[in-house]
Amino acid sequence: MKRSMIHFFVRRFLRRTGAEEDLRAELQSHLELDIRQRKERGDSADSARQAALREFGNLGLVTEVTRDMWGFTWLEELVTDCHYTLRMLRKSVGLGMIVVFLLALGISTTTAIFTLLDGILLRPLPFPTSNQLVMIWEVPPETQKSNVVALDNFVAWKERSHSFQSMAAFFKLPMNLMDQRHQTEQVPGLAVTAEFFATLGTPPLLGRTFRSGEYWRDKPREVILSYRTWQSRFGANPDVIGKRISVDVTHLEIIGVMPPGFGFPNVEADLYTALPIDPKEGGRNFSVVGRLRRGVSVSAAKAEITAIAAHTAEENVAMNAGWNATVVPLLEQTVGNIRPVLLILFGATGLILLLVCSNVANLLLMHSAGRIREISVRLALGAGRSRIVRQLFTENLLLAISGGLMGIVTAVLLVSLMRHSLPESLHIPRLHDIALNRVVLTFAVGITAVSAVLFGLAPTLQALKRDLIRDLHAETRSVTSGRRIRNLLVVAEVALAVILVVASGLMVRSFTRLLHVNPGFHPEQVLTLQMFLLPVRDEQFHAEVVRSILTRVRALPGVVAAGSIGLLPMEDNSGTWYYRADQPEPAPSKRPAGDVSIITPGYFQALGIPILRGRDFDEHDRSGSMQVAILNQTAAQMFFPHDDPIGKRLKVWWNHSPAVEVVGVAGDIRHSQLNTPPDPCLFMPNDQQPFPFTSLVVRTSGDPVALTTAIRQCIREVDADQGVAKVETMTEIVGDSIARPRVESLVLTAFGLIAIIVACMGLYGVIAYSVTQRSREIGIRLALGATASHVFRSVVADGLRLTTVGLSLGLAGVSFLVRYLRSLLFEVRPSDPLTLCSVVGLIAATSLLACYWPARRAIRIDPAVTLREE
Amino acid sequence: MPDQERYCNRVELLQGTLDLLILRTLQWGAQHGHGIAQAIRSRSGDLLQIETGSLYPALHRLERQGWLASKWKISENNQRAKYYSLTAAGKKQLTSEHSKWQLFVTAISGVLNPAE
Repeated sequence: MKRSMIHFFVRRFLRRTGAEEDLRAELQSHLELDIRQRKERGDSADSARQAALREFGNLGLVTEVTRDMWGFTWLEELVTDCHYTLRMLRKSVGLGMIVVFLLALGISTTTAIFTLLDGILLRPLPFPTSNQLVMIWEVPPETQKSNVVALDNFVAWKERSHSFQSMAAFFKLPMNLMDQRHQTEQVPGLAVTAEFFATLGTPPLLGRTFRSGEYWRDKPREVILSYRTWQSRFGANPDVIGKRISVDVTHLEIIGVMPPGFGFPNVEADLYTALPIDPKEGGRNFSVVGRLRRGVSVSAAKAEITAIAAHTAEENVAMNAGWNATVVPLLEQTVGNIRPVLLILFGATGLILLLVCSNVANLLLMHSAGRIREISVRLALGAGRSRIVRQLFTENLLLAISGGLMGIVTAVLLVSLMRHSLPESLHIPRLHDIALNRVVLTFAVGITAVSAVLFGLAPTLQALKRDLIRDLHAETRSVTSGRRIRNLLVVAEVALAVILVVASGLMVRSFTRLLHVNPGFHPEQVLTLQMFLLPVRDEQFHAEVVRSILTRVRALPGVVAAGSIGLLPMEDNSGTWYYRADQPEPAPSKRPAGDVSIITPGYFQALGIPILRGRDFDEHDRSGSMQVAILNQTAAQMFFPHDDPIGKRLKVWWNHSPAVEVVGVAGDIRHSQLNTPPDPCLFMPNDQQPFPFTSLVVRTSGDPVALTTAIRQCIREVDADQGVAKVETMTEIVGDSIARPRVESLVLTAFGLIAIIVACMGLYGVIAYSVTQRSREIGIRLALGATASHVFRSVVADGLRLTTVGLSLGLAGVSFLVRYLRSLLFEVRPSDPLTLCSVVGLIAATSLLACYWPARRAIRIDPAVTLREE
Repeated sequence: MPDQERYCNRVELLQGTLDLLILRTLQWGAQHGHGIAQAIRSRSGDLLQIETGSLYPALHRLERQGWLASKWKISENNQRAKYYSLTAAGKKQLTSEHSKWQLFVTAISGVLNPAE
């Protein structure tokens, strides 16, 4: 039944011309019958025909309303409308192309940024019921900052809390993996407590994960591989389970392989080893992840953990006094620091899309002004207003669809570009998760439809508000209505552009500020090699290894200075607290926080950091000799504001709690980031306080990278099993540390540029159009003796009036919106007068330029020609 | 559900008067558009004049609903015309429309001339 119906309709539609013919014949036969009847009644042939026609009514109308009953009218009208639109567009190819291009621009940028937003912020993390996953941190006294956790406290949380199904601690460290050719390389590894995998909930691809409840105290000899390592180093061979590999000169048995895409967010790891829980391990070094019990809220878990932290603070005053704890959802932890940037960029693309829509609306308004007579004629001939609206709507839809398609295609390209060419140094979380999926496509289609409505509204409304009689009387040249909408749109465009340009101006200012920050050291021509030293029984051996490596490196030709530091500037830092030995120990909650750096002689020279007072460490500062320390300027100022620090003693909360004598003061450097002021820092020699992390810092006379192989060789000569985790120049490290603000200001600048161009196009269009419209008026003025300069000024003044209104609106918008930008700005206030003034100047100058050409055209109008026209 | 049905019936009853007239006229046999208009006019004592602009859309709609069938034939005075006739479904429709109309008339006259 249903099929035959469809069949019927299809046949009907295909045979539409036949049906059309049939209907015509039917109505014709009606007329004939009527005429014949009248003639039979005695009318003359002529009067019978006339009477019949009169009684029949409007033949065309009857045909149309009858045809409406067939049910395919809308489809047919759509086809007609499309045909018509294409015909119209063919007449104005340039307009169509500009509109489609503009729409594609707006839709592609918005879609591309939304793809990032979706992949990074909105999509759940790739773990089963990932919304139950949280991070648990300690919180130092008097701060709100998250701090890594002491194992003791982790155990207390784990044993006493009821909000969690499971909880695991982990610690990131490079591991020395030896391959079959006995070449050792340091790969990123993660030491995890047994419940780590169960907490995340991801089952292994092969084998098993660590058994929970095991591995207390005794270090197990088991390792789990990441999928990537399994693929690249073990040839994806399923027989690896049970094999033994050498990690940190220990043979470990491979017990499992994790599936592709598994990884703790923001933590790269190729190997997972078990982390033994050693109660003697006193420092705060660990991250903790937990899985909430079903139905337990984050705030409830936080309240419980806070309560436990209050207890542990009382139980272990020395370690925990004043310390609190907090719970942060894992997704928040992963994407929290990129969210503001993404939202700002998304807002910016939204503004661009609005700008594009108002520009397109304006173009179409001007185009349709030329069609006012056409529309008026059609309305007068009886076309329904709804029919006209539908026709205009079809036109807009066709433009929007073409723009949308082009926009989506461009977005696909943009997204794959972002995925593959955004540098690692940006540290964008979940970048590999971004994809043009169904959500994104729906979004793209949605914004296409919304823009069709936005830019189609004004022209359609205008078309309908016509006064038929007046329009039909009037010649096109004097149709000036719609001018107000056009001006409004241009004002809006300028205002939007102002907002975007101010945003990009502030970002650029902030970034140049960042570039001109003096870091306190000279990064040029410095090579760094980061290592995690192989575990040894006697830690003094670590000091010896570093010393002998450095001796060899210093002997290399081209090396100017060489030293080492535990954790490199811009990469990582370690901190503790210390106090003057001649003063009482501060209460646990009043301990001053400060950085500690473990260095060797030569570090300050290699980085070009000046020794301001006293001396650098030298080869006499050995284990067994007097414990010495160097303070940075900030620390010296903090502890000895009135005295000379040299020769004074400090007590340091560090291994073996040494009392150290200050032998020197070094210049401040920005250790953690370029945009944060230096923290107090205390340096101790590696020979007295050996540290398992070591980064060689080598200043060279030539290209630092050229020395990489030679330095690696020095390391191998000292210990063949010692791998290197990372080799980078210091310039790269500093550059990477500001890679994000660099990209942010670049992208926003691009947006600002787009905004200015589109807005100027709009302004140019409107002014040029009004000159064309007013050419007769201008002609008359010129004929009556107006000077060219007068006309020129009046045209430019028109444009500048619009610009001024747009500028003031835009600046008002800026004052409202710019607070959202504050988090991205460095040493630049959102109300930075220089930026605001340059933006005003830039917009004024470009809009002058946009008015210049139309104004030139205006003064070239020949009154004789325009007045004779029409 | 019942509510909605009642509502539909009421609207159809008011709107479907022309449909009822057409269906009733065709009960006497196939007829072309002109003939149908004539018949309604004469049977109503010239009170009901059906406009072509209403008649033909109605005919085409009823045909699409499957209540009428159409065929080109030669009329008694040798002219080609499109003849409409009732289908089986159309006959059923007529019966139900007819009784609905009766109900309507009874109801309206009940309201207009309430029994004392």
